[in-house]
Amino acid sequence: MEEIILSIHDLQKSYGRKEVLKGVSLEVKRGEIIGYIGANGAGKSTTIKIMLGIESDYRGEVKIFGHDISNGDITYKRKIGYVPEIAEVYDNLTGHEYLTFIGEMYGLDFDLADYKAKSLMELFGIGEVYHSRIASYSKGMRQKLLIISSLLHNPELIFFDEPINGLDANSVMIFKEIMTQLAAQGKTIFYSSHIMDVVEKISSRIILLMDGKVVADGTFDELKEQNTEGSLEQIFNELTGFNEHKELGTRFVSVVGEM
Amino acid sequence: MQDYRTLKILDRFEKVFSNLGVDYKVMRRILQVKLTMDGRRVPTIFSQNSGKQVKETTNQYIKSLWIYVFFGLFLIPFILLGNHYLFQMSIFYGIFTIFIMTSLISDFSSVLLDIRDRNILYPKPVDRRTISTAKMVHVFIYLSFLTIALAGIPLIVGFIRHGFLFFILSFVNIIFIDLLIVILTAFIYMFILQFFDGEKLKDIINYVQIGLSLGIMVGYQLLIRSFDLFNFTITFQAKWWQLFIFPMWYGANTELVMNGNIQPLFILLTVLSVLIPLISIWVYIKLNPTFEQNLQKLTYHGKAKERKQSMINRFILKVLCPTKEERSFFRFASLMMKNERDFKLKVYPSLGFSIVIPFLFFINGINNDFEQLSKGNSYFSIYFSLIIIPTIIVLLKFSGKYKGAWIYKAAPIQQLKPMFSAVIKAFLFKLYLPVYLFLSVLFIWIFGVRILPDLLVVFINACIYAVLCFMMLPKTIPFSESFDYYNQNNKTAILLGLMVIVAVFAGLHYISTLIHFGIYLYLVIAIVGLALLWKAAFNISWENIEG
Repeated sequence: MEEIILSIHDLQKSYGRKEVLKGVSLEVKRGEIIGYIGANGAGKSTTIKIMLGIESDYRGEVKIFGHDISNGDITYKRKIGYVPEIAEVYDNLTGHEYLTFIGEMYGLDFDLADYKAKSLMELFGIGEVYHSRIASYSKGMRQKLLIISSLLHNPELIFFDEPINGLDANSVMIFKEIMTQLAAQGKTIFYSSHIMDVVEKISSRIILLMDGKVVADGTFDELKEQNTEGSLEQIFNELTGFNEHKELGTRFVSVVGEM
Repeated sequence: MQDYRTLKILDRFEKVFSNLGVDYKVMRRILQVKLTMDGRRVPTIFSQNSGKQVKETTNQYIKSLWIYVFFGLFLIPFILLGNHYLFQMSIFYGIFTIFIMTSLISDFSSVLLDIRDRNILYPKPVDRRTISTAKMVHVFIYLSFLTIALAGIPLIVGFIRHGFLFFILSFVNIIFIDLLIVILTAFIYMFILQFFDGEKLKDIINYVQIGLSLGIMVGYQLLIRSFDLFNFTITFQAKWWQLFIFPMWYGANTELVMNGNIQPLFILLTVLSVLIPLISIWVYIKLNPTFEQNLQKLTYHGKAKERKQSMINRFILKVLCPTKEERSFFRFASLMMKNERDFKLKVYPSLGFSIVIPFLFFINGINNDFEQLSKGNSYFSIYFSLIIIPTIIVLLKFSGKYKGAWIYKAAPIQQLKPMFSAVIKAFLFKLYLPVYLFLSVLFIWIFGVRILPDLLVVFINACIYAVLCFMMLPKTIPFSESFDYYNQNNKTAILLGLMVIVAVFAGLHYISTLIHFGIYLYLVIAIVGLALLWKAAFNISWENIEG
């Protein structure tokens, strides 16, 4: 039997009176690339934040590497990497300072963290800004920095929340290749994005979240069988019950034309 | 990244932290990063004259401490004065509290309110206790520097003057006061966040920063002039509200210990001075999780109410700006002046200062010979409020959000005239006029209604002056440059030259008052002059723009 890396059972979370997650359950096996999709506000980022311990105060059970994460033991985080949706970094540090700091937080030695960070920055084509302040980075550079910071410690389980935001087409290709090879090595990737064709191509399994609940879970082929439409984008539209895009588009354009 | 001496001192307490269950190595690393970042932040106290020439190695923060050392010197008289400890030390602790608290709010809010910690550190395998201890130690390091800078010399003076007991007592008192200040500040934030969202809190912090900058500008002036304030008469009457002024608790315990003055009230105050800090620590620890929860609100932007423009405002706007382009730039410029926090931080202290300067020239008159003052013509000192105009006109090209300025290039703006005239109008009516009206009310109260025509003339002169300043200073698209470049190329010569013009205005004005009805004649001439000047001033094309 394949090893289960991550399991969530009946996860519920609310902010004040607003229920964000209404009983999410899922299981992830080693080596899978999970495409975690859903409309804005469906609860994707919240799920990820709970698994990382950024948000607490939830109901239900979350097990990572077989251990319940609510028991206060945080050693599980050593084997997790994370690219957050909103690129929050200490941007008055330089790339070198930030990455070595993050590496050391994961228990890496300073020199090793420095060596890895520098090499990875160079490979990603941003080696020349290693000693510049992050505040001066472009959007793409920041995103690359975040991706590197999530991988420095060679994690087993990686959460990518909109990781290719702002990356150019070539960098996206490098990134996709990185993901495929990581998965082949037995790393598990939890990938959340709005860009459907990337999700369609790289995910070994797709989970669709709507209004705080899982509404679809399976490989792309399985989803295709269950639905009449062809591409993941169309399946997404169909499952979320959205078919007004044409009409809304027409009305939008007509308002644009008003003078 | 350099290793800090502070951290080396902290290393001696490694055992203490380990015993508390803190991962010392990780905490040390977090602190090192935080201290590095602090060194790169420009403290508010310096922000008035920050340039780009900030060097990496010199910690801006440590440098700013010298200003506190300087202010600390002014606390010494309160210690030297005599043995009226209750009175002297209450004032001493009061001033100390105000300094520490404003500095804490303006420069250290970013530490107390840093929500990046949550997103960056929480996903890492670092336990919460280590993170929160790092935060506490960070605040502690900062506060100790500040406290030593401000109270160090006064305490040594106290040691020489009043002996060892006084020194020890003051030392302990100051630690208690520091504790109270930190916790009080946290409570204030907690309170604000409970009811408002993060934007409101940021605004409040911004206003405290503005107040601190202004307070320091005025403080320099007042401290130098205020030595005759020290011949006060010392009478003490117990009032119930004094129980709530916590610097007084510490004044009272000094009185009790040093003079052996055992009154029931002093005993009560002394008990409070020890008890309340201890209780507040306990409450703080209890409430800290709620605080952390509320911090999340900082990122949350509540739905704001739509503000409708009133009919009167629309009408005034139409009168001020006849053309459509001008109106839209006017609206934009006034919003930027009202909402952009960096801009406010740089500009509002000067505005406040311009309220204060005119009074500095007859401050002694108010106390001594009010009658004579109100009949004289000291009201000419209102011209001193004009000297901030060139500074602010220079500042108009800066903005904390200067990156948004690409819109000027992208939008089809053909004529620059409406833009510049609207920005100058917005400055005159949204920034200068409110200040001037406030000053006018005070001046009329002192000098009587007779100066009303003069005040009108001064305002017209201020408008002319603003236009002249605009014409003589290099022209740049408004709100389009980073504040980092402020002061980079020195324009002191031009600014001083422009100040001469104010003197000319004041001189002409004075001559006109010597003639019968001359002031009205001057008013008419000034208005005509302004109208002509305004027509000519803003004919600028893209080629004239600098940068």
